[in-house]
Amino acid sequence: METKTFPFSIIPNFMKLSKTLFFTCSLLFTQILHAQKGVKYKFGDIKASDFNIAAYAIDSSAAAVILADIGSSDFEGNNKGSFSLLFKNYRRAHILSKNGYAIADVEIPLYTNGTLEEELQNLKAVTYNLENGKVVETRLDIKNAVFKDKINKNLVIRKFTFPNIKAGSIIEFEYKVLSDYVFNLQPWDFQGQYPRLWSEYTVGMPAFYTYITLSQGYQPFLEKTQKTNIVNFQLNDPGGAGATEKYSFNSNVTTFKWVMKDVPALKTESYTSTLKNHIARIEFQLQSIGDPFQFKNVMNTWQVVAKDLLDDEEFGAQLKKDNTWLKDEVALAINGATQTLIKAKKIYEWVRDNFTCTNNNRRYLEKSLKNVMKDKNGNEAEINLLLIAMLRRADIMADPVMLSTRSNGYIHAVYPMLNRFNYVICLTVIDGKDYYLDASESGMGFGKLNYECFNGNARIIDLKATPIDLNAQDLKEVKNTTVFIINNEEGKQIGSMTKVPGYFESNTIRKKIKEKGHEELLKDIKKGFGTEVDITESRIDSVSNFDEPVGMYVEFDVRPNTDDIIYMNPMISEGFKENPFKSATRFFPIEMPYAVDETFSMQLEVPNGYLVDELPKQTIVKYNDEGDAIFEYRISTSGSSISFRSRLVINRTFFMPDEYENLREFFNLVVKKHNEHIVFKKKTTP
Amino acid sequence: MKKKLVIISAAIFLCISALAEDGEYAVSKISPALLKNAHAVLRLETLSLEIIGHTKTTYKNHYVITILNENGEQWSPFYEYYDKHRKIESAEGFLYDVNGKLLKKVKLKDMEDVSGVSESSLIDDDRVKRHSFYHKVYPYTIEYNVEISNSSTLFFPYWVPQGRAGISVEQSSMKIICNEDYQFRYKAFNYSSAPIVTIEKNKKITSWSVKILPSISKELYGPLWHELTTMVIFGPTEFQIDEYQGNMLTWQDFGKFIHSLKQGRDVLPDNVKQKVHALTDGISDVKTKIALLYAYLQKNTRYISIQLGIGGWQPFEAKFVATKAYGDCKALTNYMYSLLKEAGIKSFYALIRAGANAGYITADFPSQQFNHVILSVPLANDTVWLECTSQTLPMGYLSDFTCDRFALLVDEDGGKLVRTPKYGLNENTAIRKVYARLNSEGTLKVNSITNYTGLQQDDLHGMINNLSKEKVKEYLERDLDFATYDIDRFEYKENKSVLPVINEALDITVSNYATISGRRLFIVPNVMTRSHRKPVKDDQRKYDVILNYEFRDIDSVEIEIPEGYTVESLPANVTVTSQFGKYSITSKLNGNKITCFRIAEQYSGRFPAASYNEMVKYYEDVYKADRAKMVLVKNEATKGF
Repeated sequence: METKTFPFSIIPNFMKLSKTLFFTCSLLFTQILHAQKGVKYKFGDIKASDFNIAAYAIDSSAAAVILADIGSSDFEGNNKGSFSLLFKNYRRAHILSKNGYAIADVEIPLYTNGTLEEELQNLKAVTYNLENGKVVETRLDIKNAVFKDKINKNLVIRKFTFPNIKAGSIIEFEYKVLSDYVFNLQPWDFQGQYPRLWSEYTVGMPAFYTYITLSQGYQPFLEKTQKTNIVNFQLNDPGGAGATEKYSFNSNVTTFKWVMKDVPALKTESYTSTLKNHIARIEFQLQSIGDPFQFKNVMNTWQVVAKDLLDDEEFGAQLKKDNTWLKDEVALAINGATQTLIKAKKIYEWVRDNFTCTNNNRRYLEKSLKNVMKDKNGNEAEINLLLIAMLRRADIMADPVMLSTRSNGYIHAVYPMLNRFNYVICLTVIDGKDYYLDASESGMGFGKLNYECFNGNARIIDLKATPIDLNAQDLKEVKNTTVFIINNEEGKQIGSMTKVPGYFESNTIRKKIKEKGHEELLKDIKKGFGTEVDITESRIDSVSNFDEPVGMYVEFDVRPNTDDIIYMNPMISEGFKENPFKSATRFFPIEMPYAVDETFSMQLEVPNGYLVDELPKQTIVKYNDEGDAIFEYRISTSGSSISFRSRLVINRTFFMPDEYENLREFFNLVVKKHNEHIVFKKKTTP
Repeated sequence: MKKKLVIISAAIFLCISALAEDGEYAVSKISPALLKNAHAVLRLETLSLEIIGHTKTTYKNHYVITILNENGEQWSPFYEYYDKHRKIESAEGFLYDVNGKLLKKVKLKDMEDVSGVSESSLIDDDRVKRHSFYHKVYPYTIEYNVEISNSSTLFFPYWVPQGRAGISVEQSSMKIICNEDYQFRYKAFNYSSAPIVTIEKNKKITSWSVKILPSISKELYGPLWHELTTMVIFGPTEFQIDEYQGNMLTWQDFGKFIHSLKQGRDVLPDNVKQKVHALTDGISDVKTKIALLYAYLQKNTRYISIQLGIGGWQPFEAKFVATKAYGDCKALTNYMYSLLKEAGIKSFYALIRAGANAGYITADFPSQQFNHVILSVPLANDTVWLECTSQTLPMGYLSDFTCDRFALLVDEDGGKLVRTPKYGLNENTAIRKVYARLNSEGTLKVNSITNYTGLQQDDLHGMINNLSKEKVKEYLERDLDFATYDIDRFEYKENKSVLPVINEALDITVSNYATISGRRLFIVPNVMTRSHRKPVKDDQRKYDVILNYEFRDIDSVEIEIPEGYTVESLPANVTVTSQFGKYSITSKLNGNKITCFRIAEQYSGRFPAASYNEMVKYYEDVYKADRAKMVLVKNEATKGF
């Protein structure tokens, strides 16, 4: 048998395809195929007794349970001189109530590059019902009832729904997908919307491919094995001149098998960045190609990956050029400024204010920077890479930074797995200070990023591929509110409130002003105060100074109150009214978007003719000795004046599930204190 | 050769710049009156519909919109759907800057082509051409030209220059071109004059136009859109879709057409026929028969929407549903109709416009205004309505999805408009009893028992029938109006009658429900039911106030508190009576027991704009009274001897 080094068409394509594909694709290829030898589930082997189960121990309230979800991926030689991937999926599910009908609607996404669509093969789907003690089969009409929906130029969805579904139905399907897009070895989710009694995935990895296998989640494997056999591969290479060359060789194939049993359904909880971080899942990354091929490292070091990115026409290549074509726009943006920091700000603002972001979550150029400039729009990577090009053109040092947003999930700290990244921003260093810039976000200040970007590890794409940390914990939302209430000459209480919210709250306020106008915002402030005060003056500062938080200022008259006793909540309308942690239990870690430091203080003159009868007690609540969260509630009188201060500090943004109860109790105390009252009593005239 | 091309494109470019200098769409040319409250200005709109025959119309739309700011972005993208009957023949778009200078253009072939399959459908054949210039420098102007041909005349377009609040209009016109003898129909809203009719080359041209319409601001609880703006709706007389012909002159005629689509599709397979007889033979009461067959339908079918070609209008045959056990509203209603027919019960296929508060039908303008089908079964003394897409609704009950609106009953004699039932004050109730005990830390243990009826139980019905117990708990843990609380127990019992009742029992532990500081105890006696409406005063209210929903809530609360407190401050007893509703709340302390009684009624109706602030005051009073606190003080410790 001849052994020869292959004219390997897949490998050079790997990088290229992966960048355009992975994004759309990761959704597409759901799990797929086929009952294997030794597996407990055989298609069609449904007995009347299988219907007896009305609820499964794993989750007695489940509306449907996946009894078995079995998949495999194998490599095959093909007639195109390369390899194809064959993914198979077999699934059996039991629908227990009407609420579970949705499990009968199946979508199979297929990737297409416009001409070559992945091939759905051997689809079979059967519904089983128990009628008069007998199992009755209803087959899916493959010819007429499997629909094709062309979602866009790269995605086709084949969909069908099982016929004759009732509460109690058992359904089964199996299918194969033959794909020439071999870079994309299918990952496997062991967990999903419905509980699974059995989830099994096998992958036959030929020795000429080495994969890194990554698994995550909190569910244990029942079985995790590997077995090596020798397998014969055959492929035909049509070549160029009409003569087809046949290749045949043996290679070791290691078959990996992973099994999980009794996997509960995924549960959505508040303060979770994304369930992607927590789902029980396994995925693969091609690391190298070896014998019988010439050895090739597919997964390189970060330094090599970064260098490749910098040379890539779809990423950094255009940044290296002189880009004289940017001359006019740079001059226009700078508008005569000479100081570096001001130049940088002006370029940033020009790009931010003139370009529309058409797509987030990209990490490559889909058109040239020239076209981005011409269209005045682009995805976030395009806009920020153009920003970098313009900064460099103005002799300001700037580099791309690649990251994964919070909702896209964590990246791998060590391996350069680019497909985990989804976002590109800009880093510029001016006078020794780092500024992270994102010109794709409307109204984002210079050096500010959306909290979505603060997701831990990120990489500067420079020759050193410098790792950096963008931690939610380092992002602090600082809010200060100060209130003065005094008695004027006529003995009436008048007051003022100055509020400077944190940066993100400020942006929410700006957005509201933009959508509904100043008036609506003032209405909101009035609503918040309730009916005890009349607002006499109000103003909002820094609405269009995006680098700073907004400032809100309100003057008000307190409505006269002649009751014998006056009860007053010193937090006015600013206190916590709800515990942010509603649920009594917690499964996944708590991930907060930023740290918090909120101070509310008040100087209050006792109303004329009244005495202080009772003050709330002063309290300091510490979440723990490390001071990860602290709440202070201080109140004191001096003469006719009351000083009050409430401060809530949360320094840590990540908490484990077993810390949840304490955290919930901590906020319970905050809400309690924020609900307490000062009691004034009328002076009794002697 | 190459050089020549360059010259040509340069010439085109010059031509464009020459145009640009004209600045036809320069923003400076907009009258200041049109900028007030506007996010966009429709500079020009020319619509025309040419009716060439029953199976061919051509629709042309040329429009120019200036987008003034970010909130005007909703008018910026181009969006047209197409399908088997509707074809986009041509389309082009242009972008202009503030001075009216042409910046970019786009042709049909460069527009995005995407699936238009709706969220609720498994499959339909809608596809969409869409495009946006994604411009960001405001103001700017877009212009689009589109021509669409249609091989069916079931639908005619409508003309509404202002589709939403926030857009003003410089000029807009609509014309219908048809043969002199062709009769189309129209109905105009807020358009007082008659259209202009001219004859050109044996074609009759009927046209409508408006100039200078200022932007409309939408108001809370305002009237329907067609009352606020100029709109003309159109309809054919004779029309055709595929091989089906009809006439829309009257509802009766339109009903005949709908009937022709479903005619002969009610044949059941033998096994289902036998099933019908097995279930109903020998039973004399008609309602019992209906109940048995409706239960059979609910148990054996589910809703799946497949809308391909004429399938968008025509029901799948009864035998299709019998074998697949699924269908869309048309198919399932036709199936139920067939089951009843087999049992000798006559029913009507009933077209309706579904959606909460979205059921308005222009009753004097027969046309295809419907989006759903239900079934009406007339009996000697009343009518049983059946929603055939639901596996859970009680027989005879229409939720807020289809209640209180017109439905078109269809049979071989044609169509007839009738009203579906309205659920009012006496039907939509929530009667609640709360027993609670407060401990010395301020924690309240609540036992709440509530009977919800009518529309007040709709959401709960959806929740308990569509969510697992675990999800219901998650919902309850999120939704109640307390700061920190745990759901200790919850239970729902459903009485599926014509007026359905859901009984809810909740045990809740509320942390720090009362604030106990030093000697005092602060507590809100009204534990569970608080109004959240807080409309803001408006001295310039322009439109009438429309309230659709009527309900009655009654709460009786008993709270046992720790011994040794006396009242320092009692919430005032409040009674408010207005044309919008009636409210009263009273609370007191007896020994160590707080009692609170609350009743709130909301009325529906149309109220003059001038009464808006009265409504605001009413809701303010209710909001405040619902949250009023009782303050208790600890009795001084009894002194020793």
